[in-house]
Amino acid sequence: MQNAGAPRESFLERHRKVLLGLLAVLLFFAAWQAAFLVVPFNPLFISKPNLIAKAFVDLIADGDMLRDLGVSAMPFLYGFVSAAVVGIVVGIVMGWRVRVGYALDPLMTVFYATPLVALAPLVIVFFGVGVSGKAIIIFSLSVFPFIFNAQAGVRAVDRLLINVVRSLGGSEWDLYVKVIVPGVLPYIVAGARIAVGRALIGILVGEFFAASEGIGYAIARFGDLFALDKMFACILAIMVIAIVLTEGIRWAERAAFPWRVGR
Amino acid sequence: MSESRTIKAALASSDELAAPGKSLWHRIEPAALGIGSIVALLVVWELVPRLITLSAGTKLFFTTPSQVAGTLWRLFATGEIWTPLGVSASGFGLGLLLSIVVGLPLGVLIGRSRTLNDMIDPFITAFNATPRLVFLPLVMLWLGLGLWSKVLIVFIGALFPILINTYEGVRNADKVLINVVRSFGAKEWDIARLVVVPNAMPYIIAGLRLAIGRAVLGVVVAEFFGSESGLGVMMVQAAGRYQVDVVFSGLIIFAVLSLALTAMVQILEQRLSRWRPVHVSE
Repeated sequence: MQNAGAPRESFLERHRKVLLGLLAVLLFFAAWQAAFLVVPFNPLFISKPNLIAKAFVDLIADGDMLRDLGVSAMPFLYGFVSAAVVGIVVGIVMGWRVRVGYALDPLMTVFYATPLVALAPLVIVFFGVGVSGKAIIIFSLSVFPFIFNAQAGVRAVDRLLINVVRSLGGSEWDLYVKVIVPGVLPYIVAGARIAVGRALIGILVGEFFAASEGIGYAIARFGDLFALDKMFACILAIMVIAIVLTEGIRWAERAAFPWRVGR
Repeated sequence: MSESRTIKAALASSDELAAPGKSLWHRIEPAALGIGSIVALLVVWELVPRLITLSAGTKLFFTTPSQVAGTLWRLFATGEIWTPLGVSASGFGLGLLLSIVVGLPLGVLIGRSRTLNDMIDPFITAFNATPRLVFLPLVMLWLGLGLWSKVLIVFIGALFPILINTYEGVRNADKVLINVVRSFGAKEWDIARLVVVPNAMPYIIAGLRLAIGRAVLGVVVAEFFGSESGLGVMMVQAAGRYQVDVVFSGLIIFAVLSLALTAMVQILEQRLSRWRPVHVSE
């Protein structure tokens, strides 16, 4: 990058990354569509971008997709919000009180290393296929990133800064607003980004397993019906939601905590 | 936190300095508390059904650590576990191997070419953000209930951590070293072999560690929904028959396997980075 600061970069040069990315995505869909000019098309096995787009529009127009997404959103919100609340509180206590940290660290590591998804069948059998079962699966998957990140955030708070604020006569409130919250918050938001991905896994596991509605159920049902265009449309919807959520949080991180960029 | 300790910590920027004055209890405190809490949890769990009378319905779902241990012992003693374990392990092993074989070279390639990186980046972002589980019904439609749909799910789960970490590591390679090697007439292949890959090794290992977790997750979910045999299938069937102890036994086997593999990777990391003066963290 020798001409990084040069004033006269061409449009192509400046937007190179975005343009190349866009080009690649367009090429991908074009190749997908064009491939069936050569290869025989079997609608029971694969779909085409134009059919998927049509199914997508149909599902939106019927309101089917929005209804399924709404059904899935409830346990997602319950599970995710309770995971955030519990995880942040436990993590902060573990980071603040050294002995609590000693006591809970190994336990949390064991829980985290365990594929807790494996308990999903049990949770479903016990709590049923409704909101609560799914919410519990989501909670158990997404609570750990919050715990570990809140703990790491508290540990990373600069003790020197605390002493400086105290020495200069800052109140307890100043301590929280000026040192602790700005120190811990970036860690928690980074944890939320990881937790969102895990929560999405949770909702899919819960709905693939046993459900009668919801976006995960829709994908599994369209698969069973060999309605591949609708299935791809739902998969695409999940992909878009996942990208918007993760990249949205990443963007918020960059906007709110610019001093952490590059870590 | 006492005032004197804070000052010492600030001075030495670590509290290692305070170590000589510590009593025995101070030194073993972290381990004692850590093990203590796990033991306490197990004891309480074991005692619950003895102290409280559980309703008949709850009893159906309840198991104790001693029961789980007994079931684990029985599963291994009778050899009942080996068939499902073997099925799961082969899916896991093949998928992970495939993701390394594909992810490593692709990561190096993307890391070395800016154009290729810019073109593939949207796909990597999209697939990395999406829970790979969403493709499971599709994969089952394509490959059926056998081994290969499991392999594919494990593969797409484990591929991205390896790919992304390899490419991060490659991009962080020392430009000066690359120029030196190139000045001495090295080809792109030599640069990869001599500079780029050794330099990326800590990143690759960190990616591998993530990939193991993803792969275990992949095996579990693939077997829950689309498989005829394996450890996950055993667990689902057990849950349906209210054999909670069998479910927990399977959970423990999965946990021990993933902890053991992660530990192995860590040992490998230490061996491979012995020559390195500064340890590069994740």
